[in-house]
Amino acid sequence: MPTVELEHIRKVYESKVAVAGLSLVIEPGTMFGLLGPNGSGKTSSIRMMIGITIPDSGTVKLFGKPFQRDMLQRVGYLPEERGLYKKMNVLEQIVFMGQLRGLSAAEAQKRGKAWAERLQITEALPKKTEELSKGMQQKIQFICTLLHDPELIIMDEPFSGLDPVNGALLQDTLLQLRAAGKSILFSTHRMDQVERMCDSIALIHRGEVVLAGTMRQIKSEYPRNRVEMAYEGDERFLQHPSVESHKQYGGVANLKLSGAQPDAQPLLAEAVRNGTRITRFEVKEPTLEEIFIERVGGAVDA
Amino acid sequence: MHNVWLIARREYLERIRTRGFLIATILIPLLMGGGIATSILIAKHAKSNSRIVIVSQDMRLGQDLKEQLARDTDGGMQVNLISPPSANTRPSLERMIHKKDLDGYITLTPVNGGRPQITYRQGSSADLATRETVQESLGKVLERERLIQQGMSSKDVDAMMRPVEMTSSNAAPEDNTSANFAGAYTLFFLMYLVIMLYGMNVARSIIEEKTSRVFEVMLATVKPAQMMAGKVIGVGSVGLTQVSIWMLAAVLLTATPIMAYLLGAGAHISLSAAQVAYFLVFFLLGYLLYSAMAAALGAMTNSEQELQQLNMFLVMPLAACMVALPLVLNAPASLPARIISFIPFCAPLLMYMRISVSPVPWYEIVGSIAVMVATIYAVLWVSSRIYRVGILMYGKKPNLTEIRRWLRYS
Repeated sequence: MPTVELEHIRKVYESKVAVAGLSLVIEPGTMFGLLGPNGSGKTSSIRMMIGITIPDSGTVKLFGKPFQRDMLQRVGYLPEERGLYKKMNVLEQIVFMGQLRGLSAAEAQKRGKAWAERLQITEALPKKTEELSKGMQQKIQFICTLLHDPELIIMDEPFSGLDPVNGALLQDTLLQLRAAGKSILFSTHRMDQVERMCDSIALIHRGEVVLAGTMRQIKSEYPRNRVEMAYEGDERFLQHPSVESHKQYGGVANLKLSGAQPDAQPLLAEAVRNGTRITRFEVKEPTLEEIFIERVGGAVDA
Repeated sequence: MHNVWLIARREYLERIRTRGFLIATILIPLLMGGGIATSILIAKHAKSNSRIVIVSQDMRLGQDLKEQLARDTDGGMQVNLISPPSANTRPSLERMIHKKDLDGYITLTPVNGGRPQITYRQGSSADLATRETVQESLGKVLERERLIQQGMSSKDVDAMMRPVEMTSSNAAPEDNTSANFAGAYTLFFLMYLVIMLYGMNVARSIIEEKTSRVFEVMLATVKPAQMMAGKVIGVGSVGLTQVSIWMLAAVLLTATPIMAYLLGAGAHISLSAAQVAYFLVFFLLGYLLYSAMAAALGAMTNSEQELQQLNMFLVMPLAACMVALPLVLNAPASLPARIISFIPFCAPLLMYMRISVSPVPWYEIVGSIAVMVATIYAVLWVSSRIYRVGILMYGKKPNLTEIRRWLRYS
């Protein structure tokens, strides 16, 4: 039984089509990446998923049943436009959010403290929210989202604005939650992150899914036609007939090979023959970013 | 319902803990009470300090008046007697008044077989207190004079003239229409003030939530209507707390001897239990209605400045109530008065006023309450709609057609 099941959901605002018939499935215990450039309909889709707005057409199912408000007790949602009550004490704020999601005050307090320790912000608990740095506030929001131990965690751009250390901390936390059997959906426009973390993804563009499936599936659909090499000296190998296009970054070149079954071997032989000194030669599948650009024809209106 | 309560409690605690609340709660009654007390004290002060002179042909009458004045002002007034006057008494007194060494003088000229002719020359025509005291004392003196002339012994006269000792028990307040009316009037303005102040606070709190971007997290857990209701109740409770503190302070103050001394008897405002009960019911309904309207305004706007422009939608109906007030007071049972007391936006103030000045049939009271409850529900529904749609498409103030369209959105 999938945790989330969207079928052809569609939402039109005024004259703008925000989401045009989106379908996706999130299985329990998986990490799902919702990808797309800004304004592609990620946030609109998420809002319909948790009943903030209702789709014009199509169905939303959570936990195997049509959406009902009381299901929200099992969902943790961190919106992109996030905020906290500025004048409120941090612990009180966490307890308030926990209570709204059905926890008792004592339980919320206990869990809040445990989470604060886990995210290394115990010293912030007695402070007022407005005294905290932005990164700290983000961690508090993270705690508020997870306090009631939701089965489905939805985070809209969770990593934006975090420094690398805290970003890694949150990433690890999400991976631990997945290991504990939670379903996690997060949206981002940073594809490299998704590549490392997600089990499956949906790539959306202008309200439509352009690519969806498990990470492995998607990658296997694309031939290993990328070569990254670090070299010194002769550059004539760039003109080899198997090279479709290339980018050079001073001593490193990213090449795309032509053909359905590309073979990098002749290229390497050519370079060696020409006397190029090669320090690294790697044959890879394309990155998500490259796949995405290929799919939408480079028409990314960021 | 649990969520509404949680939201209301949060709003309440956040507001009540601020220094601003503390200051307003203490300072406003202090300023008002202080102002009243000072003005009364100043009035008393002016009375007791006057220096006047009695000019009388009749020595005994002059002496009598002098003693009476001393009694009436507890010896505060400085009174001198010139009897009999000489030719230059008047000019010299005039000079003293001119130099402000004297506040006024009374001339008593006996008339054969009748009341003496009395003139009072006063330095400042604004000194009403002295004038009133002089008039009062003179009345008593002349009355005593006449009684003695008609053959009563002065002992009998003194016994008769002694001020009446009245044991004041609380008479049934319904009988005391003027005090009743004053009470109703005070409550009317209190209602007006609190509705105005705290209604706007509801709107402000909604805007605050928009600027701090908490709303979306909240909307993922609670319904917009619950959110609205929580805010209206939470902020309203702060208003009620404040008003209760003020009223309690007022009751305690009027009960203390200081206030009794300052104001004299009859200054307390009497209210019947029914009046208080009606006040509470109509106050609550009025507050709920106006704060629901304020909530809608808050939902439509993104900043305090924008809110200011829409302010008039709150102020206009309240102002209309004020304009209609004389009509209701003069003819509480007339058809126009009955009609306007049924308009939901005026009902809380005007129906309450009608009830306190005249008997109103029960079905009219029930009817107006029903109309108000229905309106509150409708306004809250509309404002929570606007709130949700407005938030999810924030960025600009909607125009009327957009609002209409928003209401149809799901």
